[in-house]
Amino acid sequence: MTGSIRLMIADDHPVWRDGLRSDVERRGVAEVVAEASDGGEAIERARESMPEVILMDLNMPTVGGVEATRRITEESPHIKVLILSATGEEADVLEAVKAGASGYLLKSATGEELADAIGRARDGEPVFTPSLAGLVLNEFRRVATQERSPEPTLTPRENEVLVLVAKGYTYREIAERLFISVKTVQNHVQNILTKLQLRKRYELMRYAISKGLDRLPD
Amino acid sequence: MAGREAALSSDSQAARGRRALFGAVRLFRWAALAWMVALAATVPGGFERPEVAWAAIGAAGAWSAWATVPNQERRAAALWFELALAFGLIVVSGYVAPEGAVTERPFFATAWPAAAVAAWGVARGPVAGAAAALPLGAALMLSRIVNGVAVDSLEATQVQAIANGTVMFILAGSAVGLVSRLLERSALEQHALLEETMRALERTTRLEERERLGRAIHDSVLQSLAMVHKRGRELAADGDVPPGQVAELAEMAAKQEAELRALIVREPEDDSPSGSVLLREEIERVARETGKVPVTVSSTGPTRVRAQLGEEIVAAVRQALENLARHADATRATVFVDAANDILSITVKDDGKGFVYDEEELRAAGKLGLLQSMKGRIEGLGGQMFVASSDRGTEVEFRVPL
Repeated sequence: MTGSIRLMIADDHPVWRDGLRSDVERRGVAEVVAEASDGGEAIERARESMPEVILMDLNMPTVGGVEATRRITEESPHIKVLILSATGEEADVLEAVKAGASGYLLKSATGEELADAIGRARDGEPVFTPSLAGLVLNEFRRVATQERSPEPTLTPRENEVLVLVAKGYTYREIAERLFISVKTVQNHVQNILTKLQLRKRYELMRYAISKGLDRLPD
Repeated sequence: MAGREAALSSDSQAARGRRALFGAVRLFRWAALAWMVALAATVPGGFERPEVAWAAIGAAGAWSAWATVPNQERRAAALWFELALAFGLIVVSGYVAPEGAVTERPFFATAWPAAAVAAWGVARGPVAGAAAALPLGAALMLSRIVNGVAVDSLEATQVQAIANGTVMFILAGSAVGLVSRLLERSALEQHALLEETMRALERTTRLEERERLGRAIHDSVLQSLAMVHKRGRELAADGDVPPGQVAELAEMAAKQEAELRALIVREPEDDSPSGSVLLREEIERVARETGKVPVTVSSTGPTRVRAQLGEEIVAAVRQALENLARHADATRATVFVDAANDILSITVKDDGKGFVYDEEELRAAGKLGLLQSMKGRIEGLGGQMFVASSDRGTEVEFRVPL
């Protein structure tokens, strides 16, 4: 872990925020530079304190985690957002990742996993947990069935990597299995994430065209 | 509760309808009595036996008075008595008239006896009302006989008059009976509708309650439990306190958290097609129950399958998780559920020390758990089991056609 990471915690539960703060600070992983108790506050605090990584809850009052993630990553692409959510919020998780989040962890993740994820997010690596990989796999399959879709699809290799991540293999294990370097595995994962976020733009574009919003008024 | 009240109100609605009809019959009796008295007082030529005639009219008046007291007329004895009275009245009207004077219609029979058949109709329905008219038809015939008219010498117009009178009585009884029956039926229908509405209301309330409960649990209990779970693990790691006890505490909290979460994530039961289960949910439950090694469950969706298929697969997954908890020395495991192209694939992967998968050897060593509980089960579903193991971990895959 290189130095202390500037971290922000956005969650509407003070008990949970306190716990997270003491956890990461005790491990010397990160320094909590800001806390926010709802999405709107998260957007403001992110602007003020410029954290490197944000731990974001999805289920928050006023502005939800998905929208906050979209606004923050649009405004400040160098800020990495990690979604930390409970089970049963899969659809929102996928939306948040499409909106620009770097990864997703369950709230039941261990302190060690969390520390590791924060470090990786700061280094610009996507944090692909098996649960997220499963969701993403399904998302790509869903649109792949639509004929001649202009949206980016996965290469066979990317698909292979994604399935292995979903099965619980580490990048190292995947690298060994596919006879490639860990760096290449990371690249594949990064590309998958980029394609996913690109799909969001296609979705928006398709929506705009269907509503006739692409034609500017004279 | 609500159903009982609704049932009561439907009864009272039907009763209210019947009460109104009985009220109408009561009113009719008095009007018919007045008409009868007016006819008797002005009968041309007077009665042959006026004392009998006035006694009969008096009896009809007394009955009309008694029947005015509510809730008397419904009883079987009262119905029969009034019918007998009506019968008698018609016959008497032939008896008191000058011989051979009853040619068309005996004056007593004009209206008052119709109240008897109407009462039958209200109390017992249209068929009973029509049936009650038949003895009165016979009475019409009898009234001619006692008037001294020989049956075989009845003129066509007289026969017609008797038939007309009978038909009028039948019409009165069945029409009033039909109205009574319809009132009752619409009350029943209203009752059914009311009950359905009550049920829908109850259901909505239950769903709302569930949602409120879910929010409450999510906002307080779940968060606190998640923290206890986390803190407990940290304390155990520090080693300042008896680690075993603290770890146990953490385990307890973790289990509680997971249980509560499952409670609020589960869909309302009414919405799930019967005979099917959500595979991911079932496997998450099994993963929690087997404990010890932390298990991540990933999937491409909630994956709804037939209950029977789900049961078999979950049993196989349970066996796989128990095996790895007991033998693998793993630090964590992942179960991946993937349904695509009509194939259901479930992978159980751990990072343990691995083992040599040799069916012959396992059979020889009497380790039938793996073979029977997993391979046998999956093959029974028309599927296959694959095992890949090294000193870095084991992957067991079940493939089953959907």
